[in-house]
Amino acid sequence: MKVIKAIYNFIVGDMVILIGVVLAVIILALINNVAVLAPLKGISGPFLVIAVLGSLVTTLSREAFSSRR
Amino acid sequence: MQWVVATAAFLASAVEFVEAFTIVLVVGVTVNWRSALLGALAAAATLALLVATLGTALVQWVPLDVLRTVIGTLLLLFGLKWLKNAIMRYAGLKARHDEQAIYEETRAELRARRAIDASSSRFDLFGFLLSYKSVLLEGLEVAFIVITFGLSAASSTVSRSSGIASAALGALAAGLLVILVGAIVRVPLAKVPENTLKFIVGIMLTTFGTFWLGEGFGVEWPLSDAFLLILIAIYLGASFLLTVWLKRVKMQQREQAIEKQSVQATEYSKEVSQ
Repeated sequence: MKVIKAIYNFIVGDMVILIGVVLAVIILALINNVAVLAPLKGISGPFLVIAVLGSLVTTLSREAFSSRR
Repeated sequence: MQWVVATAAFLASAVEFVEAFTIVLVVGVTVNWRSALLGALAAAATLALLVATLGTALVQWVPLDVLRTVIGTLLLLFGLKWLKNAIMRYAGLKARHDEQAIYEETRAELRARRAIDASSSRFDLFGFLLSYKSVLLEGLEVAFIVITFGLSAASSTVSRSSGIASAALGALAAGLLVILVGAIVRVPLAKVPENTLKFIVGIMLTTFGTFWLGEGFGVEWPLSDAFLLILIAIYLGASFLLTVWLKRVKMQQREQAIEKQSVQATEYSKEVSQ
């Protein structure tokens, strides 16, 4: 458990960023591999940029309005 | 030589080496230089071994598309972490890294731990381990950036090797620069604009992470590689807006806290007078 926590802290250390990026990767993988979603391929690029910005805004909002602050 | 890769590795390494240098310096001054330098050298050798073995293995065995997807994801995670921290420091939501404070704190800890004879040149295991640990931990992030950045910036096995070499050279140059400046001034390098460097590296890692992750999933970016500049502009603009917004939020929170305190003080004084 300690090792997993150390790796998590080393690479990201932020649950919001981790969830945001992993969700974006899963959705991109689905768009890329599921035939029904193939028409969405054209918006993969903008979607990725928006997902990255969304993760950043969410994690910063969480920090700014955290009750610990 | 791939200059973008070398520059990113140089900037990221400079920040980490400044942090590691502070601990090596305090061990050198408080324990002795022999143990401090041996610890730092041993950690540097461990990191070089890690980059050489892991880098070579990845170059040889992993297909480029898989590599770009995995490394793009890791770079994005890493880049967003750096960017978030840099924005929070700019907005005043997080304290800036203070090398002088870290130096004094570690020095006090070492002195409190036991009486140390700084003039002795005898090998000290504790000093060696402290120096080794700090250089290794700070250097791991550099090694990670050197491997991932070096590998992803290339399109063939040969250029992937050259990518790692470029990134390693950038990191080496940063290390030598920090050691040189540190050896001359012999004080914690407090005036290095650490947050600005972290911000620049955060923007670069996030930009390249987005680009390569997209390419790993077959995204055809408009204008090809030139789209990197557009991504940089998008992330720079967003970071600027976020910093301004967070500064305002912090100011509002401070005003509300002051208002609350003054209301409480008035109520208290009324109670006392009754």
